[in-house]
Amino acid sequence: MDKVTLEIFANHARAAAENMAYTLYRTAHSTFVKETEDFTVQLTDPSGNVVAVPMDLGATWYPGITYGRAIGMIPEYEPGDIGFTNDPYSGFLATHAPDLHMWKPIFHEGEIVCFACGHIHNTDMGGAVPASLSRTLTEIHQEGIRFPPMKLYRRGELNEELLRVMLLNVRKPEQNLGDLKAFIGALNTGERKVRAMLEKFGVERFRAGLQGLQDYAEHQAREILRAIPDGQWSFSDFADEDSVGGNPCRLRLTLTIQGDSAVLDFTGSDPQLTSSLNVPTGSDPRHTLLLVGVYYVLCTLNPQLLLNGGLTRPFTCIAPEGTVLNPVFPAAVGMRSLTCARLRSLIFGAFSQAVPEKLPAAPAGTSSIMNVMTTDNRTQQTVLAAVNPVVGGGGGMPHRDGTNGSGADGAYLKNTPIEITETEVPIQFLRYGLLPDSGGAGRWRGGLATVLEFKVFAPNTRITARNRDRSRFRPWGILGGGPGRPSDFVLNPGTARERVLGNTDIVTMDPGDVIHIHSPGGGGRGSPLEREPERVLEDVTRGYVSAAVAESDYGVVIRDGAVDLAATEVLRARLAGNRTPAHFRFGPEREAFEQVWTEAAYAELTAILAALPVHWRFFIKGRLFAERAAHPQMGVREVYERVKAGLPGLA
Amino acid sequence: MGWRIGVDIGGTFIDFCALDEATGQLHTLKVLTTPDRPGQEVMEGLALLQSRHGLAPAEVESFVHGTTVGINTVIQRRGAPLALLATAGFEDVIELARLRMPEMYGLFCARPDQLIPRDRIFGVGGRILSDGTEEVPLDAAGVREAARRARAAGAAGIIISFLHAYRNPAHELAAKALLQQEAPDLFVFCGAEIWPVIREYERTTTAILNGYVHPRVDSYLASLEAALQARGIAAPPMITKSNGGIMSAALGRTACVSMLLSGTASGVMGAGFLARQAGVERALTLDIGGTSADVALIIGGEAQFGTGEQVGDFPLHMPTVSVTSIGDGGGSIARVDGFGVLKVGPESAGSVPGPACYGRGGERATITDAMAVLGWLGHAPLAYQSVGIDRARAEAAVGELAAPLGLSTAATAEAIVQVSIASMFAEVNKLVARHGVDAREFTLVPFGGAGPMLGCLLARELGMAQVMIPRRPGVVSALGGLIADVKNDFIRTLFVELEEASLPALRAALAGLRDAAETWLRHDQGFEGPAVLRLSADMRYRGQSFEIEAPLELGWIEAGDLDALRGAFHARHAAIYDFSDEAAPVQLVNLRLVVAGTTAPPDFPRWPEAEGEPVPEREVSVWQDGAARPTPLFRREALLPGHRFRGPAVVVQEDATSCIPAGFAARVDAHGNLHLSAEG
Repeated sequence: MDKVTLEIFANHARAAAENMAYTLYRTAHSTFVKETEDFTVQLTDPSGNVVAVPMDLGATWYPGITYGRAIGMIPEYEPGDIGFTNDPYSGFLATHAPDLHMWKPIFHEGEIVCFACGHIHNTDMGGAVPASLSRTLTEIHQEGIRFPPMKLYRRGELNEELLRVMLLNVRKPEQNLGDLKAFIGALNTGERKVRAMLEKFGVERFRAGLQGLQDYAEHQAREILRAIPDGQWSFSDFADEDSVGGNPCRLRLTLTIQGDSAVLDFTGSDPQLTSSLNVPTGSDPRHTLLLVGVYYVLCTLNPQLLLNGGLTRPFTCIAPEGTVLNPVFPAAVGMRSLTCARLRSLIFGAFSQAVPEKLPAAPAGTSSIMNVMTTDNRTQQTVLAAVNPVVGGGGGMPHRDGTNGSGADGAYLKNTPIEITETEVPIQFLRYGLLPDSGGAGRWRGGLATVLEFKVFAPNTRITARNRDRSRFRPWGILGGGPGRPSDFVLNPGTARERVLGNTDIVTMDPGDVIHIHSPGGGGRGSPLEREPERVLEDVTRGYVSAAVAESDYGVVIRDGAVDLAATEVLRARLAGNRTPAHFRFGPEREAFEQVWTEAAYAELTAILAALPVHWRFFIKGRLFAERAAHPQMGVREVYERVKAGLPGLA
Repeated sequence: MGWRIGVDIGGTFIDFCALDEATGQLHTLKVLTTPDRPGQEVMEGLALLQSRHGLAPAEVESFVHGTTVGINTVIQRRGAPLALLATAGFEDVIELARLRMPEMYGLFCARPDQLIPRDRIFGVGGRILSDGTEEVPLDAAGVREAARRARAAGAAGIIISFLHAYRNPAHELAAKALLQQEAPDLFVFCGAEIWPVIREYERTTTAILNGYVHPRVDSYLASLEAALQARGIAAPPMITKSNGGIMSAALGRTACVSMLLSGTASGVMGAGFLARQAGVERALTLDIGGTSADVALIIGGEAQFGTGEQVGDFPLHMPTVSVTSIGDGGGSIARVDGFGVLKVGPESAGSVPGPACYGRGGERATITDAMAVLGWLGHAPLAYQSVGIDRARAEAAVGELAAPLGLSTAATAEAIVQVSIASMFAEVNKLVARHGVDAREFTLVPFGGAGPMLGCLLARELGMAQVMIPRRPGVVSALGGLIADVKNDFIRTLFVELEEASLPALRAALAGLRDAAETWLRHDQGFEGPAVLRLSADMRYRGQSFEIEAPLELGWIEAGDLDALRGAFHARHAAIYDFSDEAAPVQLVNLRLVVAGTTAPPDFPRWPEAEGEPVPEREVSVWQDGAARPTPLFRREALLPGHRFRGPAVVVQEDATSCIPAGFAARVDAHGNLHLSAEG
């Protein structure tokens, strides 16, 4: 297809996808769709590769999703059919049970010319806990009712029986049904728009356009890769816990860029977990969940990027089976979003070594989604409500500070006005704002963390904070920039009843109790000693940085509201002497951890675990961590032999 | 019988519409803007009206002015240094905003810098709860201290915005009184007095925008008032508002925020008026300028209203005529990217340097250049003789792209137009999708300098069969002011369940709103004519996190007709979202009242129908669908009511050129509007 027609076709394809998105957004029922915008829509080619997505509505994860495997699990299609699935282990399309994916084949003269597709996150799909998500769950069967790829509509007829089974098993059937109808409406809108495109362009040019757009995106992605020097970069990032109160979970990436293609080898990542933090990717070398961080990097390097499946063609992912990034059935996967956040920072870290001049430091990298369940003392009714997501700042950029209180890969989240929440929910906020001294120090400072504090008034008030992480391992700084301050969760701070909750995600409060939560701050970029003193002074007058930290981290001495240049020069010279060059600064927690779990020790651990049957791996990892904590002087192999000796079933 | 004058300031020109009520004749003219001496051009225009059309200043009955002083102050960030007093613990209210950032895929997404930096935001002790009760009294010492520090930091004015002040403004008012003692030289605005609505960020930003533009707007309007008086115009000047109405300039000096988006609003009101007059009830208005295009829907003859429109980098949360601005204009620049794909925009040559064919220093090909190359433009000067078209420059600029595309210069120009139309199609499509309407049921009403140039092409892409080009596309905004009502919005947050027990609160709120509206119209505006009140409410199903506005009848609340109130919401919900839930409990969040003192619409004369075909001035050659085709060129003045002709045709006039491709049949109506219908 000629390049003029291609651009015209691109606009029409995007318009079709946007029409679908607006139809879904406009007519959906649940808060999940309306407020969180946790849905996507796509147009795909007949093989299920994405051709077009909407640009400003919905979630950011699926421009490179592949429907092909799931599509292929239904033997044949007729006009009016709609396929659906929410099973993370059939076709590796859905990535946890609340996500319901659907696809509608669009026929032209008896042949499928494309599919209208998408997903919605249902508030609940049944299972062990409300909302179907909890770190405590250990196998997929606890996470709700699952449907393998099958037809929800057959030749335009709804399969009422299937629907009844679904609605019987979920906690909010009316919401699921309302969203489902909106979704069907969106798919039908997509079909209508595709028909208009077929009429305008003709079927041959339509087919050519679908491929042409993917080629175009592929070309853009390859151009970006070609501009990056060839090389190999390795990086590890850690989630604080691999299960409730558990050990750190390591994600590992070796990124190889050669010419205009790249290999992402995740070998060395932890074995699959006996918690719901696993990320199901089905050994797909271009699984979209493995590539979300890549989309962000590519869009940062070329903001004009066309988003579709073509982007993923230059990339090959390797994620060994039985690991946290490619778990085998029936590992639980519900809370994969926590691990996905680490997966993104893992990718950012690897690319930041390849193009350090072009990328920011780590963003806060975790957003705690806060919910409260309490009783209204006046009406005695139970109130269940979402409080604000607690989002952290962006990482220091090559040209400016990280954004405060949101940004980077958390920029899509919205908050709820304090006044609305206080009117609807019997809680009282004491504070909602930015946390001073939480951004990583740097030539460009990391974005500040958000802090939220509120008081409750009824007994048995339950707070859940999903996606708690980064309260131990900090968002890293680069090129001399310091790490952001870690997150924290504290009950009754500054009182005799203070309780530090760390990564705990459920807490019960008494009347009069106050809960404090703050996100992590973003990492800093470049040496803080090179930040202009006036800029440091401005941060101090704005309350973003304290005078004490201005001195200790930035070497800027402020006296009577002005920079003492002479004293600053002396102090900076002294501090400069103590600095060692390193691309990353992780902070004391990870440095201490890596004193024990050195690169070599962790490699040993990974090798031992990888050689074990899948069902032993997580268990043995836990035992090895415990044993090594007790005997830090012992090597990993040695500890393993001791552990093994006490376990008769382990061959 | 006297004169009614509407004046609208644009980027390059200031437009005048003067209606001589004695004859029903509408005179229009344009004067170049003088950015360094705002207001000067108004006087110049009046002098021209006097000399050309015999306008007598004493006979001016109404003078309506749309000014861009406010919005330019925000865009150029040249407003007053302000301080903000916020509830202690919530000082970051404007920086956190609603969190979500405009651009989600890149790691460099960022929020714009705030109008008040953090070091001039002061937390003040004191707490009002959500039910309006005081939990902690106001910290008076803290207010005084903040005043001292604000002044030391160089603030010219102070905004006070405390939590739940929409419910109980006592702390804001007490703090204001303290500030007026402590710092009488600083002006003060409170959040709850500017727009008393629940949602702290939205309320605070609105008050800040008001304070930010206040000194400039105040001084501009003061000098305008003085100059008009000196010229002998006794009628108090009125200014246009973002809500499509007007208010006295005297009031505008403090209620500045309500005029920020008046420019786009009066364009839509003007286009809506013309459409209605021509019997068109559903219109998509399209105002294309140099850098952007503003698109709006007219449904049932009425403009649509919303909140959250952008003013520069900031959302404005007062009722505003809904306009979607898209980044495609006559100056959008074309380029070929690394994959060989032709792109148009978002980069724009604007009006300076402008398209290459303007000969003002622009060198890169724009949409306007492409139209010149094709032969649609270049037969008459544009914009009231002020811009000549240099076709050779256009060909040189477009020619630069011909080689990488492997096309002839003419084919490249055609490709540029097609691509830009496709990009506008995608943007307009979003607006249409968001409203859940079908563009094909609407008439496209293009206006502004470049609207009539691209209107038919865009209509064809959108599948719209009807286009109406107003008789004077260049002065539609000025006309919008001329026909506008004296209008204001009032709001009261209630946040109650829609049930029997809430009726007393509803009645009290309605009475309060009616009092406020009455005072505003009759006392503040001194308006004596007929007025209408329009009541509506923002409602939601319990558990929803957003509200929708439903129109209500005034009598329902007094009569306690809860079913009618609920029914209005269910119906609106169904209209917008395609479903309603009659069994679900309904909450009423805000009660809104609009008061409009009505302006009698001018009765433009209908011209008698002419006979026969219009006579083209000459024939020109226009490149269309791959070949040069002979195309008749008409002067707009020569197109008389009743005339009919077929595309292709070029219609030139002082303020715009209309491009009518083959496949459209044209008809001139009794008011001189050009109606184009897609054939077949």
